[in-house]
Amino acid sequence: MPKGALLAVPATVVYGTLFVAPLAFFLVVSFWHASLFEIIPGFSLDNYVKTVTTYPRSIVFTLTIGLSIAALTTLIAFGFAYVIRFKAGRYGPVLLFMALVTLFGGYLVKIYAWKTILGIDGILNSALLGLGLISEPIDLLLYSSFAVVITLTHYLLPLAILPIYGALRGIDDLEVASARDLGASSSRVMCDIILPQAYFGIIAAFAFAYLISAGDYVTPRLVGGTETRMIGNFIESQFGMRMNTPLGAAMSFTTLVLSALVIVAVGTIFRLFLRRR
Amino acid sequence: MTDAPLLQLRGVSKSFGPVTAVEHTDLSIEQGDFFALLGPSGCGKTTLLRVMGGFVSPTRGSVWIGGADVTRHGPEHRPTNMVFQRYGLFSHMTVRQNVAYGLQIQRLAKSDVAARTRAVLELVQMEHYENESVTHLSGGQQQRVALARALVMGPKVLLLDEPLAALDLKLRRSMHVELRRIHKAIGGTFVLVSHDQGEVMSLASRVAVMDSGRIAQEGRPKEVYQAPASRYVATFLGEANLLEGERRGGVITLAAGASFPHDGPDGTVTVVVRPEQLELVQESAEDIAIAGMIRDIIYFGSHVELHVRLTRDQIIVAQVQDSEQVGDTLRDGSRVTLWWRPDPRKVLKE
Repeated sequence: MPKGALLAVPATVVYGTLFVAPLAFFLVVSFWHASLFEIIPGFSLDNYVKTVTTYPRSIVFTLTIGLSIAALTTLIAFGFAYVIRFKAGRYGPVLLFMALVTLFGGYLVKIYAWKTILGIDGILNSALLGLGLISEPIDLLLYSSFAVVITLTHYLLPLAILPIYGALRGIDDLEVASARDLGASSSRVMCDIILPQAYFGIIAAFAFAYLISAGDYVTPRLVGGTETRMIGNFIESQFGMRMNTPLGAAMSFTTLVLSALVIVAVGTIFRLFLRRR
Repeated sequence: MTDAPLLQLRGVSKSFGPVTAVEHTDLSIEQGDFFALLGPSGCGKTTLLRVMGGFVSPTRGSVWIGGADVTRHGPEHRPTNMVFQRYGLFSHMTVRQNVAYGLQIQRLAKSDVAARTRAVLELVQMEHYENESVTHLSGGQQQRVALARALVMGPKVLLLDEPLAALDLKLRRSMHVELRRIHKAIGGTFVLVSHDQGEVMSLASRVAVMDSGRIAQEGRPKEVYQAPASRYVATFLGEANLLEGERRGGVITLAAGASFPHDGPDGTVTVVVRPEQLELVQESAEDIAIAGMIRDIIYFGSHVELHVRLTRDQIIVAQVQDSEQVGDTLRDGSRVTLWWRPDPRKVLKE
């Protein structure tokens, strides 16, 4: 055993017993089947077939909304982290603190905050009515995909800013100065110097935002309305009311694999885009 | 405009908030010069270099390169390239990619880029490292890559911002030789910022000594060394003993005792005596000799430095050849007489 490997033992034990083992258990269960409130071991792909035939729209919706939220969050987070790192000077730490302080507001608090902002008689509608910009309240603000995107983006933003800012901090100002000195325009500096070095931070932020939003089922229930049926909502009901653990497990693994594919695809496309130049 | 200087600063000043880094400076650098800006840290020399490179825009004044006003041009639009003290190499690229980067931006043909990159890497003797990641190189090697990356652009003016300050003494010496060789080989115009007077003496064809945002004196290093314009320049460029004295009727009398003829108005003067000017003499009939007691002897291998106390608060440093005498008749506490040939260029009216 290499020296110092002992230090990794606690984390390995926790990770193994609380994450890998249950996951492996549910992977096995996903090939079993449920019958009359009883789970019967076996091996069949029925649950997976049922998942893709019964819930295709929900899966596509989940992947799409996750992708939109992750893209939007990563874009805004990059802009914010970029300003903190390169433009804000001594106000940078203040901006960073402001972003992080929002983490103190809990997840549910943020959801309810957006409910009061976006609702029919919420702050936004009242303001627009008061200004005379609209004649009757817009009811599409709340209970829509739009509300889900806004709420989750707001929630995920500080979590996405951190890894990107960490990556940008590693870039030497002199590298940027040198690139300009060699004739690089601002956009070339961005594509040739900054983005390649911030690659892992950006992908980490994206994966973070994507996995959390694609796996979420609380936000859609509270602000999402009827059209936002995330796969998470169905998975929850399989494990809960329907007591069909095998099908729930199969749905979970389908989503997990598809999510991983989406992240790998986005990472690859981003890398190819950077290398093209 | 063929006889206009290649690079010209006209009345350049630069303030950062309430702090003035450079005060109304005029400077002309000719084609082929190896020009050095010398001064202690905080004297404004780096700011001046950054003004030339376009990284800092002057508060007042203008910058001219090749007869064109480039004051408002950013670094990407100037025919200058900079080598930074901490290199600023692209850490995610190999040596070759670093050097080729500027040429690729100019959209040169691939074969051209490859040939020029190869040639400049050979010039700095880094051709065997072209596929290494720059983070794996030593300081001296990184410096060569940074130099190659700037040189490959064929800049009208190459700006060197204390490029060797991070290297150890031996490496610095060999880079001095290297820089001289490269300057001769390509015949370009170099501007070097340095706080190391030895570096400036061995490299530069012209030097400007800077003092708190102003140029205190400008000229060939030898001229400035031999005829410093002020106490500041005398002490900054080389070692100097400053002896106070009075001039009355064309004769200077030093507080330390010696006197010699020197034309000029009556008043207080400072005489600059370089340590290597001083010679040990037995007894001197001449007036220009001063006596004192050895306080300290410092051995340098090729020579010895004698610290000689003249009066209660004046110590003079003399540089003499090492000999049998050192440690024998020349010891701490020995009384010695020092003589030098007075140089009228080294009399300052301060």
